[in-house]
Formats: sequence, C-alpha cells, structure tokens
Amino acid sequence: MEYTAPLETYSGSVKEVVIGKGDRSVKVGGENILPLHYFEGKAANRPKIALEIDDNGAAGWSEWVLEPYKDVVADPVKWALKCLDLGADLICLRLESTDPQGANVPAEIAAALVKKVAAEVQTALVVYGCGDDKKDAEVLAAVAAACSGENLLIGPAVKENYEPLAKAVAEHGHCIIAQTPIDINLEKELNVKLLKQLPPERIVIDPLSSALGYGMEYSFTIMERTKQVGVIHGDFAMQIPIIADLGGECWKTNQARAGREQGILWEGITAMSLLLAGANLLVLRHPNNCRMIKEAIDGKL
Amino acid sequence: MILIGENIHIISKVVSEAVRNRDTAAIQALAKAQAEAGADYLDLNMGPARKDPEELGAWLVQTVQEVTDIAISLDTMNPVAMEAGLKLCRKRPLLNSASGKADSKTGMMPLAPKYNTQIIISVITDRGCPPDVDSRVESIMDTVAYANGLGIKNEDIWVDPIILPVSADQKQVREALEFMKILPDLLPGVKSVVGLSNVSNGTPAPLRGILNRTYMLMLERNGLYSAIADVLDPELVELNKGGMPEVRELIGHIMEGETVNAGDLDEKGRSYVKTARVLLGETLYSHAWLES
Repeated sequence: MEYTAPLETYSGSVKEVVIGKGDRSVKVGGENILPLHYFEGKAANRPKIALEIDDNGAAGWSEWVLEPYKDVVADPVKWALKCLDLGADLICLRLESTDPQGANVPAEIAAALVKKVAAEVQTALVVYGCGDDKKDAEVLAAVAAACSGENLLIGPAVKENYEPLAKAVAEHGHCIIAQTPIDINLEKELNVKLLKQLPPERIVIDPLSSALGYGMEYSFTIMERTKQVGVIHGDFAMQIPIIADLGGECWKTNQARAGREQGILWEGITAMSLLLAGANLLVLRHPNNCRMIKEAIDGKL
Repeated sequence: MILIGENIHIISKVVSEAVRNRDTAAIQALAKAQAEAGADYLDLNMGPARKDPEELGAWLVQTVQEVTDIAISLDTMNPVAMEAGLKLCRKRPLLNSASGKADSKTGMMPLAPKYNTQIIISVITDRGCPPDVDSRVESIMDTVAYANGLGIKNEDIWVDPIILPVSADQKQVREALEFMKILPDLLPGVKSVVGLSNVSNGTPAPLRGILNRTYMLMLERNGLYSAIADVLDPELVELNKGGMPEVRELIGHIMEGETVNAGDLDEKGRSYVKTARVLLGETLYSHAWLES
C-alpha cells in the first residue's frame, strides 16, 4: 500500500497585502501555512526582500555595508535603482534626516523626496520615519498626502500616533506598519485598534526585530506566536503579514562592524532566523544577504 | 461564595497615607463601606509593616473593630504585626497568609494554632510560584502536611492557588482554574481562596471589573469557596448573590466548550463571553479584548 504522509492544515490564513501600484506592485502574505511549510497548503506569495536606503547619506553606516553603495548614497534615487539592480524586490526608504535629535529636516522636504523617489524609481516603496512618534506623525502624514495613490507601506505607527497616521494612510490609499515593542499582547491591541480604521489588507505588523546576540530570540518568539495564533487558532487580528526590519539593527552592533565577513554573516543569520520565524517582508542592507535569503526562500540553499 | 473585602490595602495610596498618619476616620470609612456592600470578612493588608509592626497591627484591628463586627482577615508578611493584630480580634480571624517558604512555616504558621485562627496557605515555596497544576499540587500537599503536623486541621485551611495577571501570563490563569477543580480530591475538607483582582492587575482600570467578575464565576464553577475581592463593585456583589443568572449560565456554556451564538446576545452578554474566552486561553489577550 502506498504511504501518504499526514498533513497538518489550518483554518486561518494571513491576509495578502499589496504594496505599490500596477505592475510594479509587490504582494506579501496570503498564506495558510506556517513559515516556509509550502507542502502544507497555499502560500500566495513567497517572502519578499527590501533593501534599505536613507535620506541622510548613510550617516553612521558601517563601512562594510557601505561598500556596494558608496558611489550612490548621496542620491536616494540612484541608490534605490542600484538596490533594484542588486536584486531587491522593493525599496525601504528611511527618513533618518527628519530626526529631531539629528538634522530635523521638516516634513514637507521629506515628503517631496519620497514623492521624487516614487516617481523616478519604478518600485514598490516602504517608508519608515525616524522613530520619534511626534515627528513621525507629522512627517508620515505629509508623505501620505504628497504621494496620494502611490500605495506606499508607511510606518511606524505606534500606540502614541496611530490614529492620525491611520487616518492619513486611509485617506490617501496607502498601507501602514503597526509597530509594538516585542510584546504579543500589545501587538494584538494595536492591530485591533487599527482594524477600526483600516482593513487588514492594508496593515503589516512590525513586532520589532532585534539582532543576533541582542534579543533576536524575543523577536523570533513573537513572530512565531503571531503565525500560530493567526493561522492555527484563527485569530482575525493576527492574520496580518509581518515585516522584519533588521538590517539597521544588525549593522549597528560592534560584532557586525568588526569586519566585512562577520558583518554580512551577522545580518544574514539574523535574517535567516526571522525568515524561519515567519517574516513576510525583510528589510536588509547588504546585497549578498538579499541573494542568500532569496535562495533560501526558493529552497536552493 | 465568601467575599473578603480587599479595599484596605497598603498599596492603595489612600490607605498607605491613612496608615502613615494613623488616620482612624479614613480607615473606618473604608471598613464601613465594605461592610455595607456585603463583605463577609475584611482584609487588612499592612504589607511588610517594617515600621512599628506591633503598634500598627494592634491599631489597625482596633480601628476597624470600632465600627464593624465583621471578621478580619489579617494580611501581612510580618509575624510581629500579625501576632499583635490576631491577639485583639474579637471574631475568629483569618491569618493571611502562610506558604511553603521556610520562614513562613516557622515564623507565621505556628500563630494559627496559638491564636485558634483559620489560615490561608498558598502554593508558593522557596522556589517561587509553581508554574503548572502538577507542581502546585506537589507544593500544596507538602505544605498542608506540614500545617497538619502543627495541629492545624484541613477545615481551617484556605488554600490559595495564586492568581497571576492575565495580561502577563494567560496560561497561569487557566492553570489556577484547573487546580481549583481537583483541590477537593487532593485535600478533603480544605477551603479555597484567591486574590481575585490580581487577575486584572496590569489591565487598564476601567476594564478590570469584568475580568474580575468573569473569573470569579469561572472559579466558583470549579469549586472556589471564597475570594479576596473588590466588594465595592456592585455587579460583582450582585453576581455573588446569584444575580444575573443568564450571565452565569453563559459562562457555564463557554467553559463546557458549547457553542454560543454571539448574535443572540446583548452587549453585556457578549462582553462576558469574550472575557471568558480570554481567561480560558482560547483568545489571545490584549487590552482591547472587548473591542474585537
């Protein structure tokens, strides 16, 4: 008698989120399986890789991760095009210059830059603010308005600023990043609140990604549980794709900055781990890791 | 179920100030309010009582007994304050509490037979709070056996399984429910008690009541004898008197795993159903659990 291996199947499925518009859009999520368990069911989309650029000339970036980009970091458009050449599925633009502790660039200038990148680079765009909740509310609302209809993925929306941000995102046809500090209960709470303003197809969870050696296992656990709660237990508020914004976290560690090979490995191992935990979209800095993770996703490693 | 009023508690700012200033009127007002609300016991929580423990224990008991004859649950980890208070209790008091910790066994537990009190014994040991049903069983069996050795009868022991906040550890909430179910078989004759409001510690204040009330009904269904609780919550007291039978029935259905059609329920019914599901661990907790 022929043996058929038993298969686990689940009742829940993660919503599909579309970022960008037309033929340059990128889809994430849409699976009813645990991470990478393609044999168990349907995965509408494989995990996607964004390479990160910033509007601050890569200030503070480690020399090892700057190497592939050193000619282009002064110009975000060129930098984004280079990242696409190097294999990125989409671009993550971080508005580092808007940080009140740093250059404190005003919202309208940042918004104009995002508009320019969106117009000149044919790609789906993730836009992260500087992480200051007050400034982000201002800057990201301006970005949402300036790029109305571009369907950007904008964040982070946090407990302190999600309401005005979600309003701007809804009004101008974008998607939002819901960020909470590595806590499954707070993550669910923010999702529940956002779901009153936006459909789940317009939300991506950022549970915060820590680097290897700096609490990565906490990020791993939260991502893993998010998938279990959403896919296995069918919790509607947790059936939302996950973004792992890990490149910057990795490259700021002393270990990554100590040398080229070690730095690339530090980011690569963190990325591989969070991919296994369930990330649907990974934000990386080094193109080698973009290639490596894509091979892993396709089962070629 | 026996209700032990929790509102004279040193963590409360009003109480800690009243205690510091020996403000008799403030304490008595709280005692009277809880007595009128229907408390069966009044818990007098002094915390560690580091300063003047003997005088404090005596003052608090006397102050409360001046305005009410409700029995007292004397709550401190300081044996000196405990003994000073127990000496003065007119009705048979409840010693709150002892545990399986070595210093509790030697310093606190012997006060129960000495003053002929009833005693709360928790599952805590020197290794901390047991993480699951089996280890709770193991620790309480040991500790109760030790208490029996001191001459304390099972009938005078109120076992406390230790309730942890649902916002911190959902699994523990369910473990305590399970423990309650098997307790009568483990230790025939013992009573049981919980610090009910601890289940909602860490939850935003306006939402604490429904967690407390729902968990009370769930624990009661599994055999709970008494709760240290917020007796100033009128809905909690009403439920305890057998009011709102439809809510009790709904929670029973949820606990039995029966399907409940949320569409047939009013707002209140839906809230109790959602809360019961969170407390059973069927739904992941978040502060917004009533909103989804």
